[in-house]
Parts: sequence; C-alpha cells; structure tokens
Amino acid sequence: MRKASEMNFGEKCIIKDINDMNPSYKRILEIGFTPGQEIQLVNTSIFNDPLTFSLRGTLIALRKNQADSIIIN
Amino acid sequence: MQDTALIYLIGPPNSGKTTLFNIFSGKHFKTVNYPGSTVEYSSSDFLDKFEIKAKLFDFPGLISLNPDSLDEEIVVESLFNNSKNDCPNLILVTADSSQITRHLLLTKQLIDAGFNVVLVLTMKDILFRKNFKINTEKLSELLGIDVVSINGRTEDGIDLLVSAIKKNLNKPKAFPNPDKLKEFKTKDSLIKTFENIEQIASKVIEPINIDIEKANNQLNILNPVLREYSQKPDELTLKIDKILLHKYFGFIFFLLMMGAVFTSIFWLAAPLMDLVDSLFSSLANYASNSLGNNWYSDLIADGIISGTGAVLIFLPQILILFLILGLLEDTGYLARGAMLIDKPLSKIGLNGKSFVPMLSGFACAIPAILSTRTISNRRERLLTIFIIPLMSCSARLPVYVLLIAFLTPQDKPWLAGFFLSFVYLVSIILSIIVAYVINKFNKNLIKSDDNSSFILELPTYKLPKLKNVLRNSYENSKEYILRAGPVILILSLIIWFLTYFPNYSPQIEKEGLSEDEVILLENSERLANSYAAKIGEIIEPIMLPLGFDWRIGVSLITAFAAREVFVSSLALIFKITEEENIQTSLLNAMREAKIESTGEKLFTTSTSIGLIFFFIFAMQCISTLAVSKKETGSWRIPILQLIIFTSTAYVSTFLVVNFLRALGIN
Repeated sequence: MRKASEMNFGEKCIIKDINDMNPSYKRILEIGFTPGQEIQLVNTSIFNDPLTFSLRGTLIALRKNQADSIIIN
Repeated sequence: MQDTALIYLIGPPNSGKTTLFNIFSGKHFKTVNYPGSTVEYSSSDFLDKFEIKAKLFDFPGLISLNPDSLDEEIVVESLFNNSKNDCPNLILVTADSSQITRHLLLTKQLIDAGFNVVLVLTMKDILFRKNFKINTEKLSELLGIDVVSINGRTEDGIDLLVSAIKKNLNKPKAFPNPDKLKEFKTKDSLIKTFENIEQIASKVIEPINIDIEKANNQLNILNPVLREYSQKPDELTLKIDKILLHKYFGFIFFLLMMGAVFTSIFWLAAPLMDLVDSLFSSLANYASNSLGNNWYSDLIADGIISGTGAVLIFLPQILILFLILGLLEDTGYLARGAMLIDKPLSKIGLNGKSFVPMLSGFACAIPAILSTRTISNRRERLLTIFIIPLMSCSARLPVYVLLIAFLTPQDKPWLAGFFLSFVYLVSIILSIIVAYVINKFNKNLIKSDDNSSFILELPTYKLPKLKNVLRNSYENSKEYILRAGPVILILSLIIWFLTYFPNYSPQIEKEGLSEDEVILLENSERLANSYAAKIGEIIEPIMLPLGFDWRIGVSLITAFAAREVFVSSLALIFKITEEENIQTSLLNAMREAKIESTGEKLFTTSTSIGLIFFFIFAMQCISTLAVSKKETGSWRIPILQLIIFTSTAYVSTFLVVNFLRALGIN
C-alpha cells in the first residue's frame, strides 16, 4: 500500500482511497483528493515538507503526515 | 415578502467572490487571493443601477459546509443558526469555471441543505484560453438552479446575473435543514457527491471550435481525455514554480525576497518620514512665532500640531508595507511563502498560515491578529496571536529611528540603515525564541487538541492589479489613522497639559536676561513643577536601575497608549518647538540632558540600546490588548502578554544596560 507522501518528484499516480483514520481526511477529500483522481507531485521544498500536488487543474500544498492519508495505486 | 431581502455571497477561496461583491456594491475591496483575506464579512446595498432592493453580504471563503477554521465556522453559523427572519432569501455561490469539479462541492451542499441558490461561474476567460467552455443551460438543468457565467474583469454577464437575482428573489423563502450537515460529514457521501459532480462536469464542459483543425482533433477526444485537458494546471505557473519553488534555491529566494521587502520599506519610507517631520515642525514654528509667547500658542504648536505630526510620521511605512504585501499577495507568491516556511514554523508550534499574519504584524498588530482566523488549529492560532505583538510594528519605527540617530556618529549616516536592519533581525530572532519557549513550557497556557494541519491552495501566478493594491493599501492606512490617530492626539494633549500645569506662569528673575533666555528659563521652571514631574518622581525608583530618569519614565508610560507617542512625549518634555527640525532639536536636547539627582548624562550608548530592547519586547499598545481579548475570547492571553512581554522588556533592558556598562560602554 503506497501513500502519496512516498511519491517521487514529478511522478503521476491515481488515488485509490483516503484513509479515514487521519484527522484531516475530510478536508483532504473536500479539497478534491478523491479516489480515481490523478495527482502529480510537483514540488518538494527544501525540508521535504509540505508537498505540492497538482490535482484537478490546481496546485495544493499539504503536509507530509496529511499526504500519508492518500493511498495510491 | 419582508422589508429587506438578504442575499449572501458565498464561495470557495479564490473563486472571484470579492470581485463580484465589488461590482455590486461599488466598493473596491481587494480580490481574494490568499484564503481568508476577507476576514470579516462585509455588507452593502446594491448600486442603484442594478435596481435590486436587497442587502448583500460578503463572507470569507468556504470550501465546504464542514467548517475547518474559525473563519469557516462563522460562515456556516451565519447560514444555519439564525432566526427565520435573518435566513437569507438567496445565496449567490461562486465557482471558478476552470476549477469546477472542486468548486461545485459547496454548491451541491448548499442546494442539498435546501437553500435558494444561484450559481455564478467566474473566470470563464481562463477556461476559454484552454479552449473550453461550460454549457450553462445544461448545468442549470442538471443542478436544478439558475446558473450564470460572468467575467469579473469586463463585467460581461452581469446583466444576466441581475435578472436571475430578481427572478429568484420572487421565490418564496427557503429554510435550510441543519440535519443535512451531519450527512455531509461522512466519507461515503463526500465521495458520492464528487462522483456526481464529475458526471455533471463531463456533460457540461465543451470544447470551443475555434478553427477546423482543432475542432477535428477535439471531436476525436473522448470525455475522460477531455476532462484531463480542461484540468491541467496553468502552464506558466508550473514553469515559474520550477524556479521560485526549486527544492534548494526556492528557500534561498524566499529569504532574499523577505530581506528585500524589509530593506525597501526603510529605504522608501525614511525620506517620506523626514518630509512629514520637517513639514510639521515648520508648521509648529510658524504657529508659535505668529501667536507669541502665551499658553494657547504653546497648546497649538506643542500640543496640537506636533501631536498630529506624531500621528502622520509613521504613515509612510504602513502605506509602503501594505503596498508590498498587497503586491506579493496579488501575484500569488504569499501563499507559496506560507508553504515554504510551514516546516520551520511548525517546529516552534506555529503554522505556515501564521506567516502572513506575522508579516502584517510588521505594519500593525491589530489587522494581523484579525487575520489569524484562517489558522484552523486553535492552539496554533492562539500562539500566533500571542507572539504577534513582538513583530516590530510601524509604531516602533519612529522610536528606533530617533534612538538610532542618537547612536549613529553624525559623519556616518549610512550606519543608521544597518543598525535598523539589525534591530529588526534581533527582534525576529527574539520572537522566535519566545514562541519556542512559550510553546515548550506552557502546554497548559493554550489548551487545545493537537490536530495541526496545513492544506493550502497555491493560486495561479497573476500580474497584480495595481488599482486594487493601491486602494487596499489606502484603506488599511486610513483605518489605521482613524483608529490610532485620535488616541495619539488626545494623549499628546494630556501630556502637554501635564507638563504645562499647574505652574503655567512661573515667577522668575527677568533682570539682565534676554527674551529668549526668559522663555527658556520659564519653560524649565514650569516643567520642573508640573504634574508630569510629580508622576515621574513616583516612578523614578523603578527607572533608575535602567539608567532612566523620570522624563523617560513618563514617556514610557504614555507609550502604553501607542508606542510612537514616546517620541512626541520626549519632544514635549524637552520643550522642542524651535529650530528647523523636530528630530535634530530633540537629538540636541537629548545630548545635553542629565539626570537631575546624579548629574550623569541621561542618554548614553548603553541607555539608548537598553531603550531599544525595551521597545522590542514591551507590550505597550492598549488597542492590541483589546483586539487580543476580543479574538481569544478572554482576558487570559492579553493579560499574559502584558505581564510576560513587559517584564521581559524590563529585565532585558536592565541586563543590556548593565552588561554594556560592565564592558565599559557607558
């Protein structure tokens, strides 16, 4: 089971599920990270956290521990 | 129908909501770029030309009806928890056409909750550039509500929206069902709603047939591919981010950018501040010369004119800082700055979202505290509010400028800029340490759950709209003058009174003295027997360990109303009206001043540096404490701020002064 936080720079993946044990999962879903969507890791800052994903035509930055809740194929 | 219809304007961050509000209200607020920049909702009537009799309310950005921050809570509460009379007749919900699959979530929830909704699709030009458009008729049919597509810049489509509003206002009022809120919270329902939205989107997003070749190509494109095309992030933004958010250079660039922002504030503001200063001192001079030597001449020159000058002298810096902040925000860089700094800030218990409030704190703590409402974690929000008064707000600048001018050798004026940057750097480092310590040792200070999160949309890079930025900067400065101005002016008058009475007409030996000498002698005699001197004597024991006398003590007390009053108080106490420039004459007076009881020089290198440290820490602004109380809901935080920061100020001043003296620097 791979997580979005483990993606490589520039890699594209499809979201499989969102882990609802993560306290932020609702907001992650609401902002558009839903199963079936393609995401791409477009930026990792110098601290490797937060990560920026391209999703549904926009760029969303979220912390690594939040990206943990995004399960990818 | 009741007397006035209520229309709520609601939409996700960056969906063009505020632009729409500006069109209808004629007020020019700024376009929202950073989530939550419309902190409190604004309300307005529609401009007469639209012929809509209703009140329009503009709310902060909202992603969904499950609130995640105080800002969002306020919106959801206003939607559901009101009496039947306050329930909106109509909700205008905005959605970015190019972000439709994300932005329709809120629309769907509002419809499902039972509101009377009209959907406004904004930024159709961006989608148009990608060669797509949204079929509004079809979307309206699928959602079961009126849908209007507009272009906020050209106001194209506003006429259609106006008639849709009029039509919908005639409908009977619809009341929401709060039970629905629970349903929106479940994972399954969220996923289902998004599936539903995607189906709708695939039916309404259509290619534009601009030329035949493109049309032929696109005819072969099936829906999934089409969706992907319409959902690519802005190419230019990705390219710019490759540089500005580069893994290594990105952070360096960020630091350089922040350094440039602060340096430019000083370089740009300093000459303007000099201008304000010399303008008001010559005005005071003129008044004093033409009115002669009597009490009302002194009141007008020393009290009123110098007091007004004290209000206006810090205006250039506020104006310039808000201008630069507005420009950075409008381009889309500030959100990226928040992202870059999130990790380091999280180490001291703050959040990337604390960044913009902290930056605003360098202009004024009051708007800065209000803008913390976007921070969803309560603990992080309270800690941000707690340390904002440590940011060197513009009210401290006149104080620093004066003390640094005193410290700088007159033949090396370039050193002043260097000293000033150093003071800012020291104050930033010290506030980081304070935040760290408070976070570490005071887990009980701010009780809250530990669900810290950072989710932020990085907006597309745009050229800033200069008109909006200028107006925003103007509004902020005007608000600041209106709020701080009267306080400072009244205080200046009180201080004038305290230094002038009760012995306003002292009896002195005039024989053999010139007219100027008589005035000078009268002044010092009057002051030495004034109320201010009596107050000063009481507090002098507290001030002496710091190397200060009653005159600095009284000035420091007045600075608790607003910090910059310190400078005008000193000027009043030292009776500065003559000569060409308030600062120059004040500096001369400072160089001469001696502590009466000991005969030592009052302003020395060590006491001046000590004073700077006092101002770095001391919680000296009554208005800030009031806002802090209002925003945190109790007196706990403001009282702690007052005690902790002011005692730290006293102790550190004591340590600095005595350390320097031990080193032989007097």
